Amino acid sequence: MRNNPRIGWLLLSPTLLILLVFGFVPFLYVLFVGFNEWNIFAAEEGLRFSGLDNYRRLVFDEDFTTSVQLTLKFATFAILSELILGFLLAQMLTRKFPGKWFFRIIHTFPLMVAPIAVGAIWRLLVIPGFGPVPFFLDRWFDIKYQIGSYPDQALWTSVIMDVWHWTPFVTLTMLAGLSSIPREPVEQAKVDGANRLQVFWYVTLPFLRPVLLTTVFIRIMDAIRTVDEVWMLAGGGPGTRFTGIYIWRVVFPRTDYGYGSSISLITLYLTIVLCWLLFIAISGRRKGEVE
Amino acid sequence: MQEQKTNKDKKEFDGFLPFYTNAFDRVFISVVILIGIHLLWLRFMEPALPIEAATVISLVIAYYVVRRG
Repeated sequence: MRNNPRIGWLLLSPTLLILLVFGFVPFLYVLFVGFNEWNIFAAEEGLRFSGLDNYRRLVFDEDFTTSVQLTLKFATFAILSELILGFLLAQMLTRKFPGKWFFRIIHTFPLMVAPIAVGAIWRLLVIPGFGPVPFFLDRWFDIKYQIGSYPDQALWTSVIMDVWHWTPFVTLTMLAGLSSIPREPVEQAKVDGANRLQVFWYVTLPFLRPVLLTTVFIRIMDAIRTVDEVWMLAGGGPGTRFTGIYIWRVVFPRTDYGYGSSISLITLYLTIVLCWLLFIAISGRRKGEVE
Repeated sequence: MQEQKTNKDKKEFDGFLPFYTNAFDRVFISVVILIGIHLLWLRFMEPALPIEAATVISLVIAYYVVRRG
């Protein structure tokens, strides 16, 4: 029974059916709409085939290219910070220290908060004239902090907010990865005279590779499609006009469904290419590398 | 002694690409290149040459990647 492929396919079929109906069919629909002009407020109702016009418009759209640049900047800084912090926290949690159980509980709290609530909390923290962050920055360091006026401040606040929200997730995955590393190779390396950095680079990191890859993938996909918390924080103001927010603006207030679909597809394309390049770089599939 | 498994043991194709690939990888890479070339063509080359030229170039590259990649 175990080797019967029919039973395997039968057991897989509900999942495949759900994926087909809720994943693949909407993708094909968006692909179709992307080749059409469709604006419910246009003089001509319904879809009108326009070929590559939406994509022609997209490659010259400076708002879109700016949003992609901002999103990549946001994703790079947020994910790198989360990985470093998450790894350090996971290392800390593998050791014994007083109050470890308490820290372990509270450090996962941000994960339980819905993104829209995270945005609301941070909005209350940074709102000028009310939030404590602008007040103390002004009082102690004489820094004018207004995310609505300074795009850089809005971007960095978004990065810090994302780090606050998602570092616990990275910590948990890293902790799982670190716990699964066998002790023998680490001890062998130490006996052979490897220092801490060498143990990390040649033993810990290769063992963590699958966990690292999965975590980076999940975080990249999440970071690229970030909308709700950043929207709540800065209302899509300068510095936070990420791709997700740009798509929302095109599709909902402007009701330009055809163009919105084409932007969504190109964003998906960029996400897939980015993840694939990282997969090749991290997974050890390059020639001459041992997996 | 634990057996060390290399990528070559998986009998994946060893073509001109800098990593071992299977058929799906090569088709995927071809589609990625096809879309990339078309977008770049729309942005930089279309006033000089029509988009069909990009399609022809992409298909030639796709064929080469699928067969020799």
